[in-house]
Amino acid sequence: MPKKILAISSPGGHWIQLNKICDGLQQRKNHSIVYAVPAALFKSKQDKKLYTIIDVSADNKWKLIPCALQILYILLKERPDTIISTGAAPGVLAIFLGKVFRIKTIWVDSIANVKQLSRSGCMVKKHASVFLTQWQNLEDDIAQHKGAIL
Amino acid sequence: MIFVAVGTQFPFNRLIETVDQWLAQHQDETAFAQIATGSYQPQHMPWQNFMDAESYQAKIAQATVIVSHAGMGNIITACEQQIPIIVMNRQYQLGEHRNDHQADGLKWMAKLAGVYAAPTQTELFHWLNQYTQLEQPQFAKNNRRDALIDFIDTQL
Repeated sequence: MPKKILAISSPGGHWIQLNKICDGLQQRKNHSIVYAVPAALFKSKQDKKLYTIIDVSADNKWKLIPCALQILYILLKERPDTIISTGAAPGVLAIFLGKVFRIKTIWVDSIANVKQLSRSGCMVKKHASVFLTQWQNLEDDIAQHKGAIL
Repeated sequence: MIFVAVGTQFPFNRLIETVDQWLAQHQDETAFAQIATGSYQPQHMPWQNFMDAESYQAKIAQATVIVSHAGMGNIITACEQQIPIIVMNRQYQLGEHRNDHQADGLKWMAKLAGVYAAPTQTELFHWLNQYTQLEQPQFAKNNRRDALIDFIDTQL
């Protein structure tokens, strides 16, 4: 059955990986996907429904609260069945909020993290409903490896 | 056309400066640089701090080779568009990133066809000197990606 999905990440490589995943999901079923990402820079003319959120990273913790409020607003408005994130800080916030509201959460750790899980990944590992790594060598009792973007 | 792109998160003066130095010796080559918040302003190529998705795609379409930081965005784009990419990793020691994961990443990236690792100026010059002869990335059908997305689809 098609699902309502919130796809959220930080900009750059995380965002590109997230889009590759979501484009693939959309090709398989007619899921309804809304996106949240910092920086309007990444807004292109495509017909994706996109919320611009505050740019947060682990370096500026004081911005986490307004960003969390923005995500809260999106969750209440869009009522997604599932949250998907590739990282980093905005994804962590979304996974925690998803847990509070009992929304299914899927974390796909960035392919850039080869030798160890990302810092944001480690933070959500025990909280995401499904936790995926793109590297076989990082698989453990929680992190599953089912494939990779490249 | 040589397209140089350092991502959006941090500046990467070392990469921009190296390409600029190479261009000073190769005046007939054309290049374009996206430098983020870098303080070094290239003298031998036009540049922008940031690019929107459309102008980024336009430069990609013109590029013979991409010169990039070790960021996944550019690597994925290069592989999908089958454009050779030369990659310099940001180093934590030089204050270029908040950890050294780009060094780990570069090791496996360089194993992909069409991806060339240039940790220092020497390697970057080496690859730029032969940039028209670099191999194209091969990305016809990606089973690993299909497997990942198929699995996620079952978990929604």
